[in-house]
Amino acid sequence: MSRFLECRKISKVFGGIKALNNVSLSVAPHSIVGVIGPNGAGKTTLFNIISGSLLPSTGEVIFKGKRISGMGPARVCRLGIARTYQLVRPFNSLSAMENVMIGLAFGRAEPVARRARVAEAFKILQMVGLEGKTNHAAEGLTLVEKKHLEIARALATAPQILLLDEVVSGLNPTEITRTVDTIKQIQKRGITIIMVEHILKVVMALCERVVVLNYGVQIAEGTPEQVVLDEAVIEAYIGSFEDAEEKPHA
Amino acid sequence: MSADFIQLLVGGILLGGIYGLAAFGLSITFGVLNVLNLAHGDFLMLGSLLSYGLFVWLGINPFVAAILVIPAFMVLGVGFYLLLLKPIADKPPHQLLVASILVTLGASLFIEDITAYFWERPVTGISYTLPPMEVAGVVISSTRLLVLLFIFALACAMQLYLKKTFVGKSIRAIVQGREGAKVVGIPISRVSALAFSIGMALAASAGAFYVTLFTVTPVMGIPLTIKYLCVVVLGGLGSIVGSVFGGLILGVAETLTAYYCGAEWAPTIAFVLLILILIVRPEGLFGAKK
Amino acid sequence: MVFYSVFVLLWIILAALPWLGFSYGVVWIFLLAVSFTLALSYDIVGGYMGYMNLGHSTFFGLGAYTTAILLNQGFNLFTSLLAAFLLAAFFAALISYPLFRLRGAYFALATFGLISLIEVLTVNLRDLTGGSGGISTPPGNHMLPAYYMVLGVAAATMVLSHSVARSKFGLGLFSIREDEEVAQSFGVPTSLYKGLALVISSVPASLVGGIYVWNMTYVSPESVFGLEIALSPIIMAMLGGTGVMIGPLVGAVFITLVQEFLWTKVPYFHLAMYGTVLVLLGLFMPGGIVRTRWVKPFIQRLGLGEAVEYFKNVDAERMS
Repeated sequence: MSRFLECRKISKVFGGIKALNNVSLSVAPHSIVGVIGPNGAGKTTLFNIISGSLLPSTGEVIFKGKRISGMGPARVCRLGIARTYQLVRPFNSLSAMENVMIGLAFGRAEPVARRARVAEAFKILQMVGLEGKTNHAAEGLTLVEKKHLEIARALATAPQILLLDEVVSGLNPTEITRTVDTIKQIQKRGITIIMVEHILKVVMALCERVVVLNYGVQIAEGTPEQVVLDEAVIEAYIGSFEDAEEKPHA
Repeated sequence: MSADFIQLLVGGILLGGIYGLAAFGLSITFGVLNVLNLAHGDFLMLGSLLSYGLFVWLGINPFVAAILVIPAFMVLGVGFYLLLLKPIADKPPHQLLVASILVTLGASLFIEDITAYFWERPVTGISYTLPPMEVAGVVISSTRLLVLLFIFALACAMQLYLKKTFVGKSIRAIVQGREGAKVVGIPISRVSALAFSIGMALAASAGAFYVTLFTVTPVMGIPLTIKYLCVVVLGGLGSIVGSVFGGLILGVAETLTAYYCGAEWAPTIAFVLLILILIVRPEGLFGAKK
Repeated sequence: MVFYSVFVLLWIILAALPWLGFSYGVVWIFLLAVSFTLALSYDIVGGYMGYMNLGHSTFFGLGAYTTAILLNQGFNLFTSLLAAFLLAAFFAALISYPLFRLRGAYFALATFGLISLIEVLTVNLRDLTGGSGGISTPPGNHMLPAYYMVLGVAAATMVLSHSVARSKFGLGLFSIREDEEVAQSFGVPTSLYKGLALVISSVPASLVGGIYVWNMTYVSPESVFGLEIALSPIIMAMLGGTGVMIGPLVGAVFITLVQEFLWTKVPYFHLAMYGTVLVLLGLFMPGGIVRTRWVKPFIQRLGLGEAVEYFKNVDAERMS
C-alpha cells in the first residue's frame, strides 16, 4: 500500500536543543491519528514541519508520494493539508465570513469562483455551528467560536488532511462534546485528521491510532488502549514509581 | 595609505561610534517595549543642545556634560514613557504598532518644531580642543581620541550592566520573551520604563559628543533616526554588538562619501546602505540566518 | 447603492461649483481633492494592508517633478502625466522589493527615509531638477481644467479603492494586515500582493502630483517633499479612520478646515500641532473619527454605513 502521509525520520534542532529526534509517523487515509505527550514534547514542532512552516533539520515528509517538506506552507496548503493554531490566530478584525473566504479564495488548488464563494462559506460555517455569526468580527467571538472558526477556515481550503493543534484545550465539557461531534462529522466527509491533544479523554474517544512523544522522541505508538498501558508512557506522564517513593526521603 | 585617508578614517570611526551608541539605545527600547521610538534622534539633538548650553553658559567641559546629561535624560525618559508609551503598551500587536508610530512620530514633530522656534540658528559645535597628538607621523586630534575612548567605555559599561546586574538581566529576559519574563515575575512596566530611559540617556550622551564635532540643527532628529535604522538593520535586528559595528560602517561610509563625492551626497549613503543590505542580506551582517 | 448615489450627488454639486460663482471655493476644493486623493491612495497600503507607508508623498513628488520637467521639454500635459505615473509605478515596483523585507515600525521608518533620499536627489541633481530653487513650468491659468481633472482622479481613486476592498485582492490585503504569517500559510501570495498594493497606491498620488504642478506652475523640493505634505494625508486617513473609504474623506475635510481657519491665524507651530494631533490620535483614537461611538451610528443613518462596513453588509444582503 502506498502511504498517504509519511514522516520519515524527522529531526529538528533549535540552537542545540533537539525538539524532535528521529520521529517517524505514517497516516492512513480517512483515519484519525492523535499525537500526545507532555509539554515541550515537540508536538507543535511536528505540526509546523508537516504543514511546511518549518523545515526539518533532517528527514522528510511525503504526501501521496510527493516530498512536501521544503515546499513552503502555501503550496502544502494547496496540496491539501490545512491546520489550526494552538493559540488561536483568526484574522481578528475580519468577519467570520471573510475568514472563511480567505481559505476559499487562496487556499485551494482550484479557487472557488467569486459568485459561489459566499454560499460555500456559509455552508462551511454551518458545519461548525457558526452560521449565526457570519458577520461578527472574529475578535468578538468566544474562545470556542474562534477555535471553530479556525477549523472552518481550514476546511475552506478543501483539505485532505486536517491538522488540529489542541482544539479542545481550554474548553468546558459541553463545548468539548460539541467539538468532538464536529470532528467526527469532518472525518465522515473523508478528511484525514491528525490531532495534537492534551485531553486524553478526547484522544481515547476519537483516535484510532496514537503516537506518544516525549522530549522529541517517539516513545510509543498504537491504539489508544495499548498506549495508555505502556510503561514508558506512564513514566513520561507521571514519573516512575521509584522517583515517587524516593522523594519524601530526599 | 595617505595621512589624509587615516584622518578620514578616524573621523568616520568617531562618527560611527556616536551612531552606534545612540542606535544601541534604540535597540534596547525596541527590544523591551516592542516600540520603535521615532523620536529617538531628537533626544540626541536635545542632548547636544543641553551640553552646548552647559558649555556656553556654565563653562562645563563636554566630557563632564556627557555624564551630566545621563541622569537628566533618564528622568525625562521615564516621564516620556509614563505619559506616552505606558498607556498603549498593552494593546494587541497591530494596534500597538499604529499607536506607537503615531505617538512617537507626533512627539518628534512636536519636539523639533518647539526647539526650532527657540533655537533659530544651528549650533555650530563647541570650540573645545585639546592639543593634538602625533602618532606615527599622523596628526590626530586628541579631543577625538578622547571622545572615542569615552564612547568605548560607555558601551562597555552598558554591556557589563546588562550582563551582571539584576535589572540588566531583566531587560535581556524581556527582550528574549515578554510572556516568559512576566511569568517569572519581572515587573515589566518598571523595567520597561528603565530601559526606555537608559536608551534615551545613551542617545543624549552621544549627543554631547556629537556637538563637540559637528553642527547641530533642531530638524536633524528624524534623519538621524533613519540613520539609526540603517545601523540597526546593518548590524542585524536585535544584535547589540551588531549595532556598534553597523554604526562604524555607516560612520566611515558617510565620511568617505562626503570627502570623495561631496558633502551634499553624504545624507544619501545611509539609505543606500539600507537598501543594499536589505537586498543582499536582509538578516543583517551579524544577525542569525533563519 | 446608497453609497454610490451619495457620492455621485456630491460630485455633481462639486462639478457645478465653478459655474455658481464660488471661485475661492474652487481653489479650496482643488486642494482638498488633492489631499483626499493622497489620503485615499495611502490607505490602500496603510489601511487595507496595514503597512504604514510614511513615504507616500514620494510618489506625489515624483509625479510633480516628472510632469514639470516634461512640460518644460515641450511635451503636452497628457504625455507628461502618463510618463509621470508610469515612472512612479515603476519606482514603486522597484523599491517594494527591498522595503517589504521590513515589517511594522521598521517599514514605516524606512519609507519615511525614502522621502529624504529623493529630496536630496532632487536638490543635488541640479541640471535636471533645478536644485533647491525648484523649477517653473509654462505659465497659464489652468485652474478650471485642473479642478475637473483632480475631481476626476479623486472619483476614480474612490472607485478603485472600493473595488479593491471588494475583490479577492482586497481580501488578501486584509489578511496580510491581520496576520501575515497565517495569510501566507493559507496561500495568500503576500510578496506579490504587497508590491502590487504599493504600485496601485502610487498611481493616483503621482497623477495628482502632476496636475498639481501643472496648475501651480512651480515645484520645489520643499513644496512636494516637505514634512507637511508627507504627513497630512496620513494624518487625514488616520484621523478619519483607516481601512474604510469614508474615513479619509472625513479626515481630509476636517484637516483642510483646520488648516484654513487655524493656519492663517497662527503662523508658528504648525508641525507641533500636527505632532500633538498624532500623539492624541495614537493615545485615544487609533480607529479614527468614523469608528468612534458617537459618529458611527450617525454615518450609518446617513446611508454611508455601507462604506463603514460594506463588506459585511453586502454579504448579509446576499445571504437573505
